[in-house]
Amino acid sequence: MAKIELTRGPFIKNALKSRYPQLAVFVIMLVGYIFAILAGLTGTPVGSRNFSIVFVWIAWWAILILVAVPFFGRGWCAVCPIPLPGEWLQRGSVLAPHDKRPKWLNLRVPKIFRNIWLQNISFLLLALFSSVLLTSPNITGIVLAVMLFGAIGLSTIFERRAFCRYLCPVGGFIGLYSQTAPIELRIKDKQVCATCEGKPCYNGSQAGYGCPWDVFPGGLTRNTYCGLCMECIRTCPHDNIAINLRPFSADLAKPSTRLDEAFKAFIMLGSAMIYAGVLLGPWGVLKDAAYNVGTNAWFIYAVIFLAIIFVILPGLFTLGILQTKSILPLKRRFASLATALIPIGLMFWVAFSLSFVLTNASYILAALSDPMGLGWNLFGTANAAWQPMLTSVLAPAQTLALVGGLIWSARTAQKAANEVKVSSIPVIVYCLIATLVMLWLLL
Amino acid sequence: MKRSELLSRILIMLAIVGAVGTPLYVWSQTPLVHAQMSENGGWNPDILRVEVGKPLHLKLTSDDVMHGFAIGQMDVDAVDVEPGKVTQVTLTFDKPGIYTFYCTRWCGLNHWRMRGTIEVNGSNSEPQPASAPLYVSLNLDIDAPHDAPSVPNDQPSAIRGQGLATELPLDLSAEYYRSHSPYQAFIDLSNTSLTEAQRWDVVAYLWRSNTTKESLANGRQRYTQNCAACHGENGAGDGVFADDLKAAGDSSAQTMAGAQDMKMQTPANFSNPTRILGASPALLQGKILRGGMGTGMPMWGAIFAEEQIWDLIAYIYSFQFEYHK
Amino acid sequence: MRTRLFLLLFVMAGLVVAFAPLPVPAATPQAQTFRMEAGQFAYSPSELHVNPGDTVTIQLVSTDVVHGLYVDGYDISIEADPGQTMTLTFVADKPGSFRFRCNVTCGAMHPFMIGKLTVGTNNLLFRSVGLVALAVMGVIISIKQKT
Repeated sequence: MAKIELTRGPFIKNALKSRYPQLAVFVIMLVGYIFAILAGLTGTPVGSRNFSIVFVWIAWWAILILVAVPFFGRGWCAVCPIPLPGEWLQRGSVLAPHDKRPKWLNLRVPKIFRNIWLQNISFLLLALFSSVLLTSPNITGIVLAVMLFGAIGLSTIFERRAFCRYLCPVGGFIGLYSQTAPIELRIKDKQVCATCEGKPCYNGSQAGYGCPWDVFPGGLTRNTYCGLCMECIRTCPHDNIAINLRPFSADLAKPSTRLDEAFKAFIMLGSAMIYAGVLLGPWGVLKDAAYNVGTNAWFIYAVIFLAIIFVILPGLFTLGILQTKSILPLKRRFASLATALIPIGLMFWVAFSLSFVLTNASYILAALSDPMGLGWNLFGTANAAWQPMLTSVLAPAQTLALVGGLIWSARTAQKAANEVKVSSIPVIVYCLIATLVMLWLLL
Repeated sequence: MKRSELLSRILIMLAIVGAVGTPLYVWSQTPLVHAQMSENGGWNPDILRVEVGKPLHLKLTSDDVMHGFAIGQMDVDAVDVEPGKVTQVTLTFDKPGIYTFYCTRWCGLNHWRMRGTIEVNGSNSEPQPASAPLYVSLNLDIDAPHDAPSVPNDQPSAIRGQGLATELPLDLSAEYYRSHSPYQAFIDLSNTSLTEAQRWDVVAYLWRSNTTKESLANGRQRYTQNCAACHGENGAGDGVFADDLKAAGDSSAQTMAGAQDMKMQTPANFSNPTRILGASPALLQGKILRGGMGTGMPMWGAIFAEEQIWDLIAYIYSFQFEYHK
Repeated sequence: MRTRLFLLLFVMAGLVVAFAPLPVPAATPQAQTFRMEAGQFAYSPSELHVNPGDTVTIQLVSTDVVHGLYVDGYDISIEADPGQTMTLTFVADKPGSFRFRCNVTCGAMHPFMIGKLTVGTNNLLFRSVGLVALAVMGVIISIKQKT
């Protein structure tokens, strides 16, 4: 299947190049984000009736994991409001660059942090406290505020979008999973870049800023680190950058060999399975342990959580691939074969999320009318009853997602195994067992 | 600076100010009365003030679980106070004084402690003194044990008692009923020619004569909503909180001047004849009004009206006696 | 050509595994009663097992605050205050696995207060396992073919 360039026609290209449509979306998102912080901090402590919980962990999460990531890769990053205030300060402008730029430190992020380990850690921090985070409006408000002000602070010290690229817990996994998406931003012709002077796509120009994601667009071969901010489309003087429609998971044909990304795959796989068991299962003792942060039970839960993610899952995986003989070092095989876990990881999250989203989506109507639990009724839906949706479709949909994910991962395993010249069978069996466990937990 | 940049900045600033200012402003203009489980702080605020005759508009919301709201000794329907939702109530008080508002849906072990007061100021008339409850005028020690020395072998029946009572000079007055325990009434019948079982049946009849079916139904409802959670749906002292009360007592050092039996403990078993047949209605009224002084039994004096308490007591005795078929 | 044939075979096998009617064990429907305690944030017992056609009675006993019981798939519910046992009776005419959950906000972890009701056998789970096994078989066969 060939690629189709979406930016070939003038309509889409100009809509993306112009800063005004993007700014309009940015303002809406920023207002919603700030309102979520305030609703969380001052509104009702009851999560199901507070805008911050309902719109972050039900509405936004649903759109992110069911639509944005599978179909648009890092599409959320394109509209996320978190970096905006810091970036506007850093640039000294909200639209095109000025001649006079403000003098911020613009330090380069130290090499030791230029990977996704910090993002792995920030995601795990949220994950260990997720039961409290997902159910307490004030905690959600605080976390949102910390991310916003953290991004602003980092923008005044480091160059570009340091928070987004190296710290954001969400960016860590949507970067990894964006490799499965059917859209991509790539250059059209390598020769054009080879002869380009100044590389304004990376260094900026009067038309726009150098890539905020610290990516050289000319060298982009996969979606993982491109945040679809469209600056390079504005700066490229040779109109050499395109947004293409392409087959799903085209990026996984050439698997990554990075260890930080491999562990991200295990983090996501493990946490989906743990949440399916703890949050959606019938075992109250697990829920108590997960929620009562600071108690002995929670410490044990946290240790087991981390053990599953860092020891058991990668350990079993390594045992499996040790069986196969190869001249390539284990680390390279491990990282490369771990990319096969990306499709099932995504589908595990889709299947898990479908459950609580369909069950609780009805809260969205009430939260729209009474976002802070103050007794408002803006749209008349404040008393909309809680009613699970599409319950007869849920289990079959989860089955389809999980079976589909397994087939997808198996094919990815084949491609990855070919690259490192080993058999893909151990990885496929590993994915099979993980899928069986997830099916048992969810159905 | 270019015009587009300036306009964009203004738009952004306005949007942010709106996003921050609007919710903060509205939040500050909406005084809510928050209902929280006692363990989380109870009612907040828990003291409300209003002038006599002026309406008090309240916006109630729960911050955790399902609660309810009612005013003690006032004929106002209870309203539910739901988590995250706002319930509006308007109250008007004719007489000055201190009124108690309380939670009406069980919200944990300490649900009954979830109370607040409404201070109604107004006319300068002197507060009228309340009359002393019966156990005070009878000089009853309501903390003293009140076991009946003997109890019937079978459940006494008021239906049989009615047949037996026709020839007897019975004092069916409320004064007699309220000031005597069933055992005392049983003893007072020893000058008759009835067997012990028959005398108990007459006592049951005497007890039934001092209440009506409607009162028993009211008493039953009050019991179900307020007492069953600790005392059990069948009065056996085995309600859902019975174990928690006992555990709280065992782990606490709270005793009243050395009286071990004044620590939190398993709720009374109303199906135990020894304990109940030795208690007069006045004694039970005293316990209900004053509470258990550390035993975990709530004080209901500010909450129930006198008639409601007599109805409740009548229902409690119905665990001992067969009143109707 | 051969690949197409195999693919078709696997798709058909998949459809059979997914949709073929399974024999229903002939169990006579009975009446079953369960006393279920509800406390923050779990039910006890949290897993129920009945046969298709049974008349199920659940006595809901709340042990701390007001809780509810809503059964997915059957769309029925009750709520109970501590001290007032409430009863839900229904006929388990839909087979499969259904979650039941609390539908009266009862604290922070309320959305995760969940139990499982299994009516008969959880056929969907078995079908899914079958599909998963079939999928892996298909992939492994296609790998072997290429090598």
